[in-house]
Amino acid sequence: MSSRFTKLALGAAIGSLFSGGVLASDLVITFDDLNPDKKAAYEAAVEAFKAANPDINVTANNGDREAHKGTIRNALQNDAPDVITWYPGNRMGPFVDAGLFADISDLWASDPNLSTNFEAIKPTMSRDGKQWGVPYSYYQWGVYYRKDIYDKLGLTEPATWDELLSNCDALKEAGVTPFTIGTKFLWTAAGVFDYLNLRTNGYDVHNDLTAGKIKYTDDRIRNTFANWETMLDRCTFVSTHATMSWQDAISPFANGDAAMYVMGNFSVGQYKEAGLTDDQIDFFQFPEITPGLPRAEEAPADAFFIPANATNMENAKKFLAFVATPEVQGDWNKAIGQLPPNAAAEINTDDKFIVEGMETLSTAAGLAQFYDRDAPAAMAKAGMEGFQRFMLDPSTLDEVLEGLDKVQAEVYK
Amino acid sequence: MTSHVTRPDARFATSVSQVTIAALVMAIALYFLSSVISTSMIQEMLGLRRQIDARVPTFLIRICCLLVAIAAAFYAVTGLSMYKRNKLAWAPWLFLAVGLGFFIVYVIAPIFQSISYSFTRWNGLYDINGDWTGEWVGLQNYRVLFDDPNFYTSLKNNVLWLVLFMLAVPIGLFLALFLNQVVTGIRIYKSLFFFPFVISQVVVGLIFAWAYNPEFGLLSEIWSWFFCETKENIMGNLTRVCSVEPPSILGDEDSATYGIIAAGLWPQIAYCMILYLTGLNNVSSDQIEAGQLDGAKGWKMLWHVVLPQLKPATFIAIVVTVIGALRSFDMIATMTQGGPYGSSNVLAYYMYDQAVGEGVGRYGYGSAIATVLFLIMLVYISYFLLRMYQDEKEGS
Repeated sequence: MSSRFTKLALGAAIGSLFSGGVLASDLVITFDDLNPDKKAAYEAAVEAFKAANPDINVTANNGDREAHKGTIRNALQNDAPDVITWYPGNRMGPFVDAGLFADISDLWASDPNLSTNFEAIKPTMSRDGKQWGVPYSYYQWGVYYRKDIYDKLGLTEPATWDELLSNCDALKEAGVTPFTIGTKFLWTAAGVFDYLNLRTNGYDVHNDLTAGKIKYTDDRIRNTFANWETMLDRCTFVSTHATMSWQDAISPFANGDAAMYVMGNFSVGQYKEAGLTDDQIDFFQFPEITPGLPRAEEAPADAFFIPANATNMENAKKFLAFVATPEVQGDWNKAIGQLPPNAAAEINTDDKFIVEGMETLSTAAGLAQFYDRDAPAAMAKAGMEGFQRFMLDPSTLDEVLEGLDKVQAEVYK
Repeated sequence: MTSHVTRPDARFATSVSQVTIAALVMAIALYFLSSVISTSMIQEMLGLRRQIDARVPTFLIRICCLLVAIAAAFYAVTGLSMYKRNKLAWAPWLFLAVGLGFFIVYVIAPIFQSISYSFTRWNGLYDINGDWTGEWVGLQNYRVLFDDPNFYTSLKNNVLWLVLFMLAVPIGLFLALFLNQVVTGIRIYKSLFFFPFVISQVVVGLIFAWAYNPEFGLLSEIWSWFFCETKENIMGNLTRVCSVEPPSILGDEDSATYGIIAAGLWPQIAYCMILYLTGLNNVSSDQIEAGQLDGAKGWKMLWHVVLPQLKPATFIAIVVTVIGALRSFDMIATMTQGGPYGSSNVLAYYMYDQAVGEGVGRYGYGSAIATVLFLIMLVYISYFLLRMYQDEKEGS
């Protein structure tokens, strides 16, 4: 057997002397979402691309999202597909800096659709003044609440911090825990922090913090934590949050034991699965804290990138341009219940959360990606652990902030 | 006279060296071939449409080339006259060579590699040309490490694991003594007690994590018999109202580690028990009888007659328990991921978390943690190696 393989191998060695390169028209795509609706939308887009480009052999791979975070390192360095999904913002930083993503600024400049319809999200896709990827979807964050509980107690959507706090008082009076959350996997706490900081200090200060330009012990950040302490005190969170995942935290919300949830729009499907209807749940933007501050929002985007090692660069660019078209963006996001980053794309006007989300994001003064994408991963990990600790025991605040300063000094070198 | 005797020898030597050289050349050529073969070459050779399909055949061809190269190298070495003269001394090393080779490449070399990474700042990436992207920072990682409260938490937890995990040994002994009797169906009871050891650690972790869950776990159910009542909430759904909240064992920094250790003890006790049960089978009944004649009973019998005979079982039980305590990684990964906020980390999990986990990518820092862990383990390992060496010396 081994001799047969040796012959094959020798044959291969000789063969390669006479001809080089690979088949011209391949395209290998690696996607990272196995959730049924996400998977179906991706496959539909790939089918549409195949139909439009019958001469290209498309291989569409798909895998688990969490596993992808580990395997992408190997994929980019050794065994690169032609197109791969990843997160923009700071999360793409290490790969861009190591030269593992291809610079596609020329595509952004030459494709009229990309250069005109993606103004809002372009900064997020840029690093060192160049563009590195094309976003296919994003979604809003905010407060999801039980409209039926609010109605029963005669409460209205709060527009200001004081209104939120007095709503909380009324809810507690009625025996309802105002907020649910599950911090076992940490990141949910970052959503609360981001909004408190964006509303207390605004987009620029928040950006400077995640970029490592402001210390965590800065007075402005301390103000954010002071507001958070007020929130913990008056707007209690469910007490067992440290042992719950974000999905676990839906059960007190669905049961009517908790009334509000700071979350991303991807959670709506899960509320409905838990038995809630459109009449029972609604959405409001996180209320204003510092009056007159331009309103910034969280809007994490998912994007496609081209590895620098890709074999079929031209086909990859063709696919990226295809994914950016208003039609594909519209269909894709209608199918997964999220928002298209393309401003010219249609949205699903029957979905009240999508309509409200579009309005929220299109009028926002700035878009943050989310704490664990805006801050480098090592900082984000320490930061989110700190948030969880603070939520469980606010008296540890000084220790937490000083600890975060130490990590910050180390990570941003 | 002398020339007459040496001539056949010399002829023999030349013929051997020709074959040897041929084998050596072949070994080297095959080795290079195995590294030159690429997926694109094989893809073209086999006429495959996609490069990705060529991965398995390429791997097989490479492995076969390597194996043939190794075989040829063996043949070459055994052909050497030097080998022929010292067969007895060479043969064991020849047999060990492949194993040693893998041991050096996959165990010894990574240790030094990891120690060298601990002096660098590196996010685990090579750039497009395959160049390493890190930078040398000297002792910086260690300076940060010794100033990192998470490191001390992890270290403290490691010690807690080692100490508390030792409880498995006496409890296992107690159970073994208890089960070491002749009753109908005792085998069933024994296997039931042994059962937890058969379950995978991950499953044990999950079961305990559910049992501890303050919302719906077994413990909180029992808790609510005493402290909670079911009421209707504002929406008319049933909900539980407690006068004292049920403990959140894995969600509290003070209890999380103890909760995981308790879960880990469950299978470990079963393991120690089975070790002692086999040990008890070998306790000589003559000595027990002699002890009885001399009036030994109860504790005295156990301490002076039975336990000394169980010494080998105790030694093994302690060794596997120490190893078990150091392998706490799976339990922590399934039950808390080191949380809340890193308070149930041990060094091994903290290292993983900082280097590989969730794309944090502090490979240099992770390597520094690994190095410290390695040094700690080295103390323990050298103690056992020394002891085994002494035992062997006494035995021979």
